[in-house]
Parts: sequence; C-alpha cells; structure tokens
Amino acid sequence: MSTQHHNAPESEPALRVKALESLLVEKGLVDPQTLDLLVDAYENKVGPKNGAKVVARAWVDPAYKARLLSNGTAAIAELGFSGMQGEDMVVVENTPTVHNLIVCTLCSCYPWPTLGLPPVWYKSAPYRSRAVSDPRGLLKEFGLDIAPEVEIRVWDSSAEVRYMVLPEHPKGTEHMSEAELAELVTRDSMIGVAKVTVGSKARS
Amino acid sequence: MLRPEQVEEAVKTGGSTRRPDDRITPRFKTGDAVRVRNRNPTGHTRLARYTRGKRGVIHHDHGVFIFPDTNAHGRGEKPQHVYSVRFEAAELWGEPTSLRDAVYIDLWEDYLEPA
Repeated sequence: MSTQHHNAPESEPALRVKALESLLVEKGLVDPQTLDLLVDAYENKVGPKNGAKVVARAWVDPAYKARLLSNGTAAIAELGFSGMQGEDMVVVENTPTVHNLIVCTLCSCYPWPTLGLPPVWYKSAPYRSRAVSDPRGLLKEFGLDIAPEVEIRVWDSSAEVRYMVLPEHPKGTEHMSEAELAELVTRDSMIGVAKVTVGSKARS
Repeated sequence: MLRPEQVEEAVKTGGSTRRPDDRITPRFKTGDAVRVRNRNPTGHTRLARYTRGKRGVIHHDHGVFIFPDTNAHGRGEKPQHVYSVRFEAAELWGEPTSLRDAVYIDLWEDYLEPA
C-alpha cells in the first residue's frame, strides 16, 4: 500500500469505502471476517503467477496450447486455476502479425483466477477509453511500439467472458525450463501492454 | 451473506452466468454482418455506447448467458446468445491511428440486428 503519514488525511475514495463497509457490516449484509479472507485470497494467494504458469505450459507443450486456445476455461482449470471472475475464459494469442490488448471499458472486468486483482491504471478512465480508441498511442506510452504491419486486436470484456493474452515466446529462451520461463512472464504481458523478453522478470 | 467458511469454495468456483440451453437457437453465426441497435436505456445495460449504430461482423458465439438488462432489474434472466463481434477501427472512430486495428466486444443477441 502507499506510504502515508499518520497525520495526512485519507483519500476520498478510501473514506467512502470505509463508510460503505461500516454501513454494510452494521446492516448485517457483509461479514467483516469474510472481507478479510477475500482480501487475503487476492493479495496473497491468487495472482499473476498463476497466469504465468499457464503461459509457460503453453510455450513448452503444443497440445496444451491448442487446448488453451480452444477452451480456455478447461485448460486453465487443468493447472488448478478457476473460479470467481474466470468462470468463462478466452485466451488470445499474440503472433508476429497480431497483438492483443485486454480492457473493460464499462468497468474493470479482469480474469482474477489467473491474474489476481487489476492494477489501478487498468481501472482508470484514460486506459479504458484509449485502449479501444487509440491502442497504438496507449501502448507507446507503456513503452511498446507496435509495427504498422501488425494488427492490434482490442478485446473489450463487456459481458461474462474474461480474457487473457498468451504472449509470444521470446527468442533466446530455448534452454529454459518451464519453471524458468514462468518467471519471465509479467502481468502486463498477459494484459497486452508489454511483451515478454529474455530479460523480463515477473514482479509478484 | 457470504460466510467466512464459504469464501474458499466461492473463490474457487465463482458463479457463472452461463445458462446452457440447446433449445435457444442462435440468431447469428460467425461471419454474419450485424449492426448494434441504437438503444439508450435509462436502466442497466452492457451495451457500450461507442458501438451503438455501428456495423460489425460476428467473430464467435460464446453460448447462452443471463441477460443483465432484465436480470439486474428483477425482470427475469432472459437467457440468450452472447457474441464476440469484430468492429474495424475506422467504423468506430472515423479516422483511427491505424486502419489495421479492430475492437472485439461481447454483445448479447438483443443488442444486435442484421446489417
């Protein structure tokens, strides 16, 4: 979380969330222990390391990759990942001619079982509007220059399906084990705002 | 109310809104040209404003799901097919940065009409 001085006022959204939480608990609609368990699940247990394992498996096993692209939900579940906000998964593959980008323009839908909770920028109005209207400009700001001959496909998660990008398998990694490959796969590469390179390192 | 002892299972299972039903035949198939209805309801909808009135092509039929426009207001699940529809950047934005790019968005059958 951000470093805050003890005497600095909390942000307005944080105050509103606290007020809502108190009210819901008071009315017996939310159990605070449930909230703690949910926060713990998505802060410590479920995160992009899951998606990284899926990607690494697809890179080393062509039959798995085929299953992943034809039925994302089932293939992801083979590795033990499933559930809330990932009940219906579609995985889209980056190739030398197609680059994929995931967004939810309406809110912040995101594939929780494989990527955990979305980063703040993914939920922001600028990302949500520019991902669909100017993906090239947006990606440039993320440091990713897409060649003019490459087609960008933006997937707007407007219904119940949740999307994940299968990044391209980077050159120079042929000697790596599946576990070592998984260490290279970043959250951002599975959203589509970055590529995986031999120098990548997944943060958490 | 979700109880603490239910959390682990809920996280692992989730709650799909899919309603598989072979009796509900799809109106559209991959490759069909469709136009998004110009619908501007005051209640809940997942019909993204930037697609209204635009012409796209059916990419894929995801199957049958609960319809949020009615379900959110207690007016029934009204399950129907949801399609991934491809829109060319030029169709959506007029003069986009690249003519090569496209947006794929998921739309319920009620949002669409043949183009």
